[in-house]
Amino acid sequence: MNLKKILIANRGEIAVRVIRACRELGIPSVAVYSEADRLALHVRRADEAYEIGPAPSRESYLRMDRILDVAKRCGADAIHPGYGFLSENAAFARACEEAGITFIGPRAETIQAMGEKTSARRIAVEAGVPVVPGTLHPVASDEEIRREASRIGFPLMLKAAAGGGGKGLRLVPHADDLATAVDRARSEAKSAFGDDSVYLEKAVLKPRHIEIQVMADAHGNAIHLYERECTIQRRHQKVIEESPSPFLTPELRERMGSLAVALVKKVGYVNAGTLEFLVDKDREPYFLEMNTRLQVEHPVTEMVTNLDLVKLQIRVAQGERLPITQEDVRQTGHAIECRVYAEDPERGFLPSPGRIAALRVPGGPGVRDDSGVYEGYDVPIHYDPMISKLVAWGRTREDAIGRMRRAVSEYKVLGIQTTLPFFERVMRHPDFLAGDFDTSFVDVAFRRHEVVREAPWEVAVAAAAIQAFRDRKARRGALSQSAGAAPVSGWRVRGWREGAGGRL
Amino acid sequence: MIFDVSVQGRTVKAEVKATTADSYTVVIDGRPHVVDFRETGRDFASLLLDGRSFEAGLERREDGFVVHLPADNIAVVLQEAARGSAAAHKKASGPSRVTAPMPGKVVRLLVEAGQEVAAGAGLLVMEAMKMENELRAPRAGRVQSVAAREGLAVETGALLVVIE
Repeated sequence: MNLKKILIANRGEIAVRVIRACRELGIPSVAVYSEADRLALHVRRADEAYEIGPAPSRESYLRMDRILDVAKRCGADAIHPGYGFLSENAAFARACEEAGITFIGPRAETIQAMGEKTSARRIAVEAGVPVVPGTLHPVASDEEIRREASRIGFPLMLKAAAGGGGKGLRLVPHADDLATAVDRARSEAKSAFGDDSVYLEKAVLKPRHIEIQVMADAHGNAIHLYERECTIQRRHQKVIEESPSPFLTPELRERMGSLAVALVKKVGYVNAGTLEFLVDKDREPYFLEMNTRLQVEHPVTEMVTNLDLVKLQIRVAQGERLPITQEDVRQTGHAIECRVYAEDPERGFLPSPGRIAALRVPGGPGVRDDSGVYEGYDVPIHYDPMISKLVAWGRTREDAIGRMRRAVSEYKVLGIQTTLPFFERVMRHPDFLAGDFDTSFVDVAFRRHEVVREAPWEVAVAAAAIQAFRDRKARRGALSQSAGAAPVSGWRVRGWREGAGGRL
Repeated sequence: MIFDVSVQGRTVKAEVKATTADSYTVVIDGRPHVVDFRETGRDFASLLLDGRSFEAGLERREDGFVVHLPADNIAVVLQEAARGSAAAHKKASGPSRVTAPMPGKVVRLLVEAGQEVAAGAGLLVMEAMKMENELRAPRAGRVQSVAAREGLAVETGALLVVIE
């Protein structure tokens, strides 16, 4: 069965990523967009595009009925959900199945089993995969939360049962903080996933966050594509990922890969998925949750395995067998991804939406930029502030870091604040270079161990002073000329003369 | 043309003299630099400063520029020296105005007018880009007024709460 037309039920860079795969496979792509997104890059890149409602995602990107309606009207026979939004929504997968539309992801029942976080924990326990101690069921009432919390002990993590991407997730250091945290987590979970149930886990101290990418077809074949190190986070959201992890031993890597494949086979999983683990300081892995979808950081795996995960997803959705076996998968070299967010790292990573006044994107050997924006684009306030993913590959970790540092220095985003200056500092940070960090890196070690380098401030002063000088001269020139002829820029005069000269 | 400049906590004087159309001498705190400056696109310039090559992004701000250099974004505040250096010092005392640090939506109010608050106490919760952020009191005091309303969409700098 070959898919004829794929609708992408998402926006931003991931929609662009899927459109690229479609185009490479010769499959027409359909974008959907909210009223705020008419000028988003995915709309401009797709073969077809249809509006599905107002800016808030609840009224657009989360509206299954409207998305399915567009699919039927335009003749799309498959839907790729990307990540976030409806990607882990079992009801949506089921609605697609019922409408005779291929959902490019696992079956609805698997999403239900693995997507609901406490049920995934129960299945993992049955499959012999170690989990973090905590509740094995969602807890509903405040009374029950209090009771379970005192049983597990503080500090603990409060998580949205339907969650992902750091939304609806709170670290609760003490009993006093519980009520506020529950409030906040519930409200975030409700708005992000339409479901406000939560569960509790003991907080693992100084953990590494390492995940295993898996891929499975509908014929019972499942493989893992090695790990991604995702320890560097802010607000429980990843900002830098790499593969291989500098922390794993070959034995632990093999063990975690086998655990992942065992779990995937137990639930009859189909398509791409990721098993997230916490690894404590004694290198003990604990299964955290499974993401039954493509991950933001999938390019890191693509760079070291030389595989195209989105194309593999589409092939598997077409009913094809995986074209490779476990023995064929090689982890070659080292890849690092930096998530470029429209956020101000100097002000606690506050969102910084607005117009991108000017943009320069890096290139050259081993550099990949998966972007969802362009020069002149207005980054809207309604959605996730990630604008791009910058990925660098090198033969060794050192090579990859050198390339990333070089690529970050070429990357220019004017008009909004981004996390790029933060990455420049991380790529020089002694703890990062040594591969020695845990999930508290951004908040603690980063500032404590940073080697501060003096910025070339006199260059900045010279540039700014000259520009100000030129601006003032231009303004005065314009004023003195305004009585006579209109001001003409040097460039235009030269262009006109050369043009005339060529013709005459 | 002489500028009073503040950059990264320093205050310096910078004098710009044009030698040819694209060549300048910039004297920064008495030290002269020869600079060849060419625009390389909207908001970008290539600088050869004493022979060293820099590609600079020049982001205009009300009071100067943010200069994007390969590894640093540097805010440069400058004012023409001839125009008098009336760098008006803001009053340090008086009521504290808590304004929106980003565009977003006011989700919940946690205080009301007349209430006493401690420094760091939560004032309200704002949502922007799918994250909820609690805005806290910059100092202890009494809430003089609450301009924010729940559900209200606000722009950066919008007045939310005044503490006296």
